[in-house]
Amino acid sequence: MTSVAPKSAEPGPSQRAAKPHPLDSVFSPKSVAVAGVTPTPGTVPFDIFYNILTSGYRGTVYPVAPGKRSICAVKAYRYVLDIEEDVDQAVIVFPANVVDRAIQQCGQKGIKSVIVISAGFREVGPKGRQREERLKDICREYNISMVGPNCLGVINTDPEVQLNASFARKMPEAGRIAFLSQSGALCTAVLDYAREKRIGFSKFVSFGNKAGVTEIELFDYLHQDPQTDVILLYLEELRDGRGLIEAARRVTRGENAKPILAIKSGRTPQGADAASSHTGSLAGEDMICDAVFREAGIIRVVSIEQMFNSAIMYAYQPMPADDRLAIVTNAGGPGVMATDAAVSVGLSIPRFNPATTAKLKEALPETANIKNPVDVIGDARADRYNAAVAAVLEDPNVDQALVILTPQSMTDIDAIARGICQVHKTAAKPIACSFMGAADVGSGIHLLQAAHIPHYILPEWACEAMADVQRIRRWREQPIGDIERLPVDRAAAGAILDAAPEGYLTEDQGLAVLKAYGLPVPRHMLCTNADEAVAFAEQIGYPVVLRAISSQIVHKSELKAVALNLDSADAVRGAFERMRRHMAETVPEIDLHGLLVRRMIPDGYEIILGGKRDPSFGPTVMFGLGGIYVALFKDVTFGLAPLDRHTAARMVRQVKASQLLEGARGGARADIEGIEQSLVRVGQLVGDFDRISELDINPLIAGPANVGNMVADVRIRLSERN
Amino acid sequence: MEKAEVEQRVKKVICRVLGVSEDMIEPDSHFVFDLGAESTQSVELVAAFEAEFGIEMDDEAALSVDTVGAAVDFISGYVA
Repeated sequence: MTSVAPKSAEPGPSQRAAKPHPLDSVFSPKSVAVAGVTPTPGTVPFDIFYNILTSGYRGTVYPVAPGKRSICAVKAYRYVLDIEEDVDQAVIVFPANVVDRAIQQCGQKGIKSVIVISAGFREVGPKGRQREERLKDICREYNISMVGPNCLGVINTDPEVQLNASFARKMPEAGRIAFLSQSGALCTAVLDYAREKRIGFSKFVSFGNKAGVTEIELFDYLHQDPQTDVILLYLEELRDGRGLIEAARRVTRGENAKPILAIKSGRTPQGADAASSHTGSLAGEDMICDAVFREAGIIRVVSIEQMFNSAIMYAYQPMPADDRLAIVTNAGGPGVMATDAAVSVGLSIPRFNPATTAKLKEALPETANIKNPVDVIGDARADRYNAAVAAVLEDPNVDQALVILTPQSMTDIDAIARGICQVHKTAAKPIACSFMGAADVGSGIHLLQAAHIPHYILPEWACEAMADVQRIRRWREQPIGDIERLPVDRAAAGAILDAAPEGYLTEDQGLAVLKAYGLPVPRHMLCTNADEAVAFAEQIGYPVVLRAISSQIVHKSELKAVALNLDSADAVRGAFERMRRHMAETVPEIDLHGLLVRRMIPDGYEIILGGKRDPSFGPTVMFGLGGIYVALFKDVTFGLAPLDRHTAARMVRQVKASQLLEGARGGARADIEGIEQSLVRVGQLVGDFDRISELDINPLIAGPANVGNMVADVRIRLSERN
Repeated sequence: MEKAEVEQRVKKVICRVLGVSEDMIEPDSHFVFDLGAESTQSVELVAAFEAEFGIEMDDEAALSVDTVGAAVDFISGYVA
């Protein structure tokens, strides 16, 4: 078996010397002033100072406490300006109404960063918002990096810094996980949870109202931070979604890649904004968020438990080569449950090679199951576990192992845990454990945790964590191309869009815009009388479709403004007159521009291509099952515009309907490459024109490769001119 | 009562309640930022001013006064 040191001791790429970074003064200040300290223990202003003083901080700390000679026997200063030495950082604990004065003095003192713990800003309404703007102005004026306001503070466990500039009760253990949170209260709960599980942190940041430093700058800093391997983020509000995604892509791929696991809670008011197009109504922030996080390599998790489950699997274990899992258990039921869980999250359960089978046969009793999952039987002691775990990890068909234990009367739990720790020391492959139970298995779990072997109460959680690591691995391996501009007639599209008022384009205008961007648009003509319609139908061939055109008609079928399958001149003439008469009688207020004539498009798969300008992510592209099923199944996905062709290809394969397009159940394979190219073109279009707020091509009829795809309907909504 | 007398008595109350020396106190001194008042001491200050001058002040308005000079003006309105 190849021998490797535990991951945390490896001189990996993330442990190279860091370059200077603008946020160094936030995390590694040589001196800190705490401005607004009071002498009353149990209050935030006192506790922050006390925590810095007692956390082993390697720099110098100065209490700024007007009217006090000293705090905790440390000489106090009336103002930060009175401190004789240079100061790198100030932690501001003054009440909100004087924080601006404190930061002003920090600027005059040449302090590079401030952490504003105080609350009473944007979170309390308009007056607080004004106060926060004032802080931002001062920080801009003096080039100060500000964390907060309204936050818990910052912790850096680096032994050379040891800074606990927060009101968390205790300094966490040092580790390789960075935790960033918009919620301060959650931070204290997470620290308590992590202490119990022996999870250590490299950096711990509560960024509160993020008036200055945001998660985007923090990503950049942590990407370079030699102490950090994994970044965890709890986010309530996205202000610059696009910036976040671009920063995440830089962090999660390429040289020195680090995974990001994120919880995103809450919805913006814009996300709930009523929208009349399919894309608009489906593109709630949460759905977009899900899709674009995935496309940025961010593993979106739903709970703190899941976040840490996956983080410790990645941080403490080597990256597996693939998804093949061996299970070793002393109980059949949990083994089967774990197998089900593994398969359902995308892990595979391989067959062992003959050499492994032989080793297992020799080491285990006849009643044992020597196939995967290996059942060492309920009376197994450490010797059987040791032999089985070592054997499966040596198997070339196995990439990782899950060890399950249930406590029976003869199970020597601690000895088994020690044996696994021993195997782990020399294993080149990841190991996770699930010692099921609570009281009896407690000491064994502690042994595993102390050796940084990920432990999960339920085997299902272990499988989910391993599956998340697979996502991280696949994300790093999958191709992302450069955005290449396809040749389009931007001027022609621009002329139509610039001339149109706020609201919907008419269908003929929409088709013209799509045509300019190279999308497959059927030949069509806007006709104002039946003779014109018949003449054009004769020219393009039957059957044809008639569609009433007006900027006031959004949903044509409700107004009977569509006639299909017209297969002769008489049929066209009759339908034309009937439709015009019907419109005049039922909706006389509508300004009818004419009736559009086009060829009837042959049957195919109905799909939707959409575009939406999201308030946070900017222009986005949607793909999914179209037609009448859009709202019913919501089988759609999103990407950020413009798209590269690899991302477009992944979008097509992400939805369930892709199996239909591939020709499931004997159907013809659709022109998938044509669809991908159309997605790229839609992305280019919505990326080029800010005024396109929503775009629906629904349906695009996807035919087989020899027929191709065709736009059957389009709706483009414009925002007002700037 | 003369404003100068009000100012003198206000300063004495501040020195007693906040434990600061009189030479730290200027008319534009901010109770929190310059004199280090904690949130509970703001309430103590209001009570001490009321006792010193034998007045009863509007609590909300009194607590919104944040400098020594503003306190002198505010109390003068009650004792004039």
